[in-house]
Amino acid sequence: MDGDVVLVIVVATALVFDFTNGFHDTANVVATSISTHALSPRVAVGMAALFNFAGAFISIEVAATIASDVVDAAAITPTVIFAGLVGAISWNLITWYFGLPSSSSHALIGGVVGAVIAAVGTSAVEGEGILGKVLIPAVVAPVVAFVIGAIAIIIAYRICARLRPGPVTRGFRLGQIVSGGMLALAHGTNDAQKTMGVITLALIANGNLPSTGFHIPTWVIVASASAIALGTYTGGWRIIRTMGTRIIKMDSAQGFSAQGAGAAVILASSHFGFPLSTTQVIAGGVMGSGAGVRVSAVRWGVAGNIVAAWFLTLPAAAAIGAASYAFTSIFGDGAAGPVILSVLAIMLGLTLFARRIRQGQPVPTV
Amino acid sequence: MSLGTFIHVLPGSVVDTEALLDSVLASLVAGVFVTVTASVAIFGFATAAEMQRNGRDLAAIGAGVLAAVATLAFAGAIVLGIAVMIHG
Repeated sequence: MDGDVVLVIVVATALVFDFTNGFHDTANVVATSISTHALSPRVAVGMAALFNFAGAFISIEVAATIASDVVDAAAITPTVIFAGLVGAISWNLITWYFGLPSSSSHALIGGVVGAVIAAVGTSAVEGEGILGKVLIPAVVAPVVAFVIGAIAIIIAYRICARLRPGPVTRGFRLGQIVSGGMLALAHGTNDAQKTMGVITLALIANGNLPSTGFHIPTWVIVASASAIALGTYTGGWRIIRTMGTRIIKMDSAQGFSAQGAGAAVILASSHFGFPLSTTQVIAGGVMGSGAGVRVSAVRWGVAGNIVAAWFLTLPAAAAIGAASYAFTSIFGDGAAGPVILSVLAIMLGLTLFARRIRQGQPVPTV
Repeated sequence: MSLGTFIHVLPGSVVDTEALLDSVLASLVAGVFVTVTASVAIFGFATAAEMQRNGRDLAAIGAGVLAAVATLAFAGAIVLGIAVMIHG
């Protein structure tokens, strides 16, 4: 009975994480479309939510990686996964509150790994899976996006060099409707699958699903798709300023190149089951499309701050995940710990929201 | 797997290099192809409009055809990408 209560809490928490993931990452997905005036903020966010929802249905490779290649599902309990989720959500909220771009994906993996280490030690951590399917692709993907963004903008400028700027700007703004949609689709497919993977992991840990023969129940896919889409629609306007204009000042061709590079990398990686940080990939594309025109156009100082925030994500989320598990274990193995921690986390989250609202609405436009 | 073992694992032995390279190659081809087709389409449409204004109808038709082909290639690449994702 206690196990089922905890499982319900885990599923609810995973969906909250999915919501915060969409909420947090909206800015990354729509910033380029908004900053080049290809789309109004409202349309961009609405479109991103729609494509996030659709994207969740097109692949399950990333979910399989999360459920089987990060930690040993047979060695952990739903409470451990819950603690990991608390670590991820807390880090997402902290970085949102301070306006720092971060990686929801790395926060999730960091949180879960931290909680697992606190609960059963390093023996249940799939080190090879984390290294081969998470860490190395995490380093490679933004670099590839940077290179594609740079090549793409050089080609685009060469082809359109002799044209008047008006039609070129209008053309690439139209193109950005497609590339922005693809980027949102890519974001939906990679990020929603992480939640699907975590819920599936909890179902396996609780004995509701067999540990062999990977399968995601349809309700998990629909719930994950809905949560990320709702989170995206609710939006994280505050970070738009950082991603959209503080890295480089973009024109529509650069916006198109950056979005195309990001979408191509995320979709291809999703196909091969690599759970990427969509934030890092998009930032790589944005910087590449700036550097392809003029290296000095990229505000590397801001990019450096963002990179520093990325390096903090895994250890910080892991530390919070571990602390969350330690806290729940004070109350024994039953549902009391997760229930008490949930109440405290909700109170803390509401306090942060209230403070943010009192300090003024996040940035509505760029 | 202990932390010590984790630290000593060589990347080459745990990374599916083929999948990683395929992923990089697919990203590169898709990203560049989509940009080239979109740019050519914009070039074609803008050139066709300019030629038409200048009374060069034949050149306008040629540029229009180029734009249409590039637009189809652009749309085809998007559809193909999604189809590959869905059908694995």
